[in-house]
Amino acid sequence: MRRLWAAAAVALLALTGCGIQPSEVTDAGEPPTGVAPGVTLYFVDRRGELRPQPRETGRLGTIPDALTLLLLGPGGFAPGDSALRTEIPPVEHTRVEVTVDDGTIELRVPLAEHELSPLGIDQLVCTALDVHVRSGGSPATTVRILFTVPAPGSDRPRTCPLIG
Amino acid sequence: MRRRLWPRGLRARLLVTFVLVTVLGAAAAAWSSAGSASTALVDSTQRRLTEATAAQIGALAPQLSYPPDQAGLDRLRAAVGPDTLVTYRHLRSADGAGAALVTEELREAVRVRGRLVAQRVGGDGGSWLLIGTPVMITDLDGTRTPSGIEVYAAHDLGDVERRIDGLTRSAIGTAALALPPAALLALLAARSVLRPVRELRDTARRLADGDLGARSLPQGADELAELTATVNEMAESVQASMAAMRRMQADARRFAADVSHELRTPLSTLTAVMEVLEDAADGMDPDARESARMAITETHRLVRLVEDLMEVSRFDAGTVRPRLEEVDVAGAVRDCLRARDWLDRVELTAPAESRSRLDRRRLDVIVANLVGNALRHGEPPVRVDVSASPGEVRIEVTDAGRGLPEDVLPHVFDRFYKADAARTRTPGSGLGLAIALENARLHGGDLTAGNADGGGARFVLRLPRGMADQVEDG
Amino acid sequence: MAAILLIEDDALLRRGLELALGRHGHDVRTAASGEDGLRAFRSSPPELVVLDLMLPDVDGFEVCRRIRAVSEIPVIMLTARGDDFDIVSGLAAGADDYVVKPAQPTVLDARIRAVRRRAPGAAEGVRVHRELRVDTASLTVSLRGEPVRLTPTELRLLLTLSQAPAQVFSRQQLLELVWEHDYLGDSRLVDNCVQRLRAKIETDPARPEYVQTVRGFGYRFGPV
Repeated sequence: MRRLWAAAAVALLALTGCGIQPSEVTDAGEPPTGVAPGVTLYFVDRRGELRPQPRETGRLGTIPDALTLLLLGPGGFAPGDSALRTEIPPVEHTRVEVTVDDGTIELRVPLAEHELSPLGIDQLVCTALDVHVRSGGSPATTVRILFTVPAPGSDRPRTCPLIG
Repeated sequence: MRRRLWPRGLRARLLVTFVLVTVLGAAAAAWSSAGSASTALVDSTQRRLTEATAAQIGALAPQLSYPPDQAGLDRLRAAVGPDTLVTYRHLRSADGAGAALVTEELREAVRVRGRLVAQRVGGDGGSWLLIGTPVMITDLDGTRTPSGIEVYAAHDLGDVERRIDGLTRSAIGTAALALPPAALLALLAARSVLRPVRELRDTARRLADGDLGARSLPQGADELAELTATVNEMAESVQASMAAMRRMQADARRFAADVSHELRTPLSTLTAVMEVLEDAADGMDPDARESARMAITETHRLVRLVEDLMEVSRFDAGTVRPRLEEVDVAGAVRDCLRARDWLDRVELTAPAESRSRLDRRRLDVIVANLVGNALRHGEPPVRVDVSASPGEVRIEVTDAGRGLPEDVLPHVFDRFYKADAARTRTPGSGLGLAIALENARLHGGDLTAGNADGGGARFVLRLPRGMADQVEDG
Repeated sequence: MAAILLIEDDALLRRGLELALGRHGHDVRTAASGEDGLRAFRSSPPELVVLDLMLPDVDGFEVCRRIRAVSEIPVIMLTARGDDFDIVSGLAAGADDYVVKPAQPTVLDARIRAVRRRAPGAAEGVRVHRELRVDTASLTVSLRGEPVRLTPTELRLLLTLSQAPAQVFSRQQLLELVWEHDYLGDSRLVDNCVQRLRAKIETDPARPEYVQTVRGFGYRFGPV
């Protein structure tokens, strides 16, 4: 009988002490990321190959920021790499509309499809993807480019040959 | 102490146990559901908060200049929310009381693990969820390295706690709700359990009172039914052995009756020829004469013994019926004494006439036995006092001897009881007082033995006067 | 002194009683069974029968009844003490008296003499009570001119009662006067004999005219 009373007491105690208990330090998942001393733009070197060019902007910034910088060309940054050139023709408006959807980055560029060489397209894709990955996105994300004058298949998902 | 806590009645014990078990069960169920609900609530809250924090940091991080300055840290802290601490190397941005709660343990975990971590702590104002995380730098190849920026956010769980308290209260309420139906069920169960117990008790009581035919009907197949069946079996065997005993007793009595009966005819023959022998004895030589006299005396004694035995057998068999008639008790007592030539040895005091309705022959037997006993064992003078009240007739027989010893008193009416071993061969049969008592009881009266004030033995016979009919004079 | 027929099945008791009664001056004949007894009774009627109730063939009651059917001679039963059924049945069968076994010959002899004394009447003359006529000299009784056959005991009871009409006799008195019993006599003898007497002389035995009951005390002779 004494056991029954004990059980009752324990149950009562448990019932009354049922609040939020302090816990140990528990793992809660992936830490956030996205800080960076600068952004990486992709240009074409002398040999006609795609080449990343880190640009000390003090922060990673957004994909449109990076694409704006890319559209502005290699410029006078990093004089040792003056051999870098861009295959993207100069544009009046350097603002690119970016929509990041699930697994796809959509870029609405102020260019027609025929104005860009494949390397130029890679420049856009790699720069956007680079920012995306550095700010915590998946390297498997694909990029879709919407041109002002599209060509058949021009809006297919693309990947960067240097990433992933 | 324990006895006071624990009621003694079976019903109360059943009730308390049942209610306790039921309420405990209900409480456990309610508690476990409340517990899992609150765990889920805490978990989901924790997940939501960590995800939100990570998302807020992740959203701002790309805009954060790196390495950050104080302003950057402040921005980040503001983005995460109040009660946040952001550090970068020696830089530090803190806000709110919650920031002070961040434990060294948590910071250690953040630095060592490089992961988003959480910890619940109990503070003064209640529970807090602490979230700590480094902000990482991700390389293109996927490797992440800590940037040195660490964010600690404290979230007050007071709201969650209040919701959990609500759940707990409702659990207690649920358990409490179980109390009345539990008590009701317990009462019903107790009744259904106790009814057979009560029946069993009644049966046992009837058995104890001598009703050996008492049985309980076992119901169902539970332990109580088994107990009932066992009690029934016990009663059965007791009844059987009682019946066997009664049979043996009856057999013994019948045997005594049969023996006495069988002795009657030879005794009749002996009695018949004793007179012949008595007449012839005078002419015998002395030895033969003495032998003949002994044979005659012992035959008479034997006759009296057998007659008394048969009388006792009849009482045992319950076949004795008094033949009641109108009797003048004083006259009957005087007749009894006169017939035995005792009138000059006994002092008789009696009212002139005291009529009563009783069995004349049995009254004679009682008086003769009492007086004969007094004359044999007591000292003269033997007194017989007859008195009558409206309700009863009382006859006292007192002698002037030493009286009855205390150890003999309870046994004087026992059959064949001899107070004095040295006086075993008295003319009495050893049944006289027993027969006298039976006869007194047959009349609804009583016979008691005691000692008179003077020291002699005193026997008191009380007989109810019954329905004394009025004499119709012609 | 009297010619007695003793009917008793136990040989030794029979012989013992024969010896004892013989010493008291009686002329005793014996029979070992009811049939023998009845045969002996018919061949040579005795003056009195002493009858054991427990007989192997025809029991004592039946023997008594058969004797009563043809004769008014006295019958004394030998019975067991306290055997009320035997006593009542024996008296109903017509026995005049009974002696309890083991019977002392002296007692039995006294009963025999008492029963036989009931026959001769001491008084003389004829008493007429309405339709009942009692001749105390010839010891005959007639009712409406018809002779009534009474046993000696019945006759003696009637004579005792009728010699003092209206006087109440207690059963005890009657036992002493008629049966010559001591103070412990069995009142059933009286009651039984009264019933038999009423059956013979009363017009309606249920509402007796001559032998009246005085409740709680005894009997008296009427009409008062």
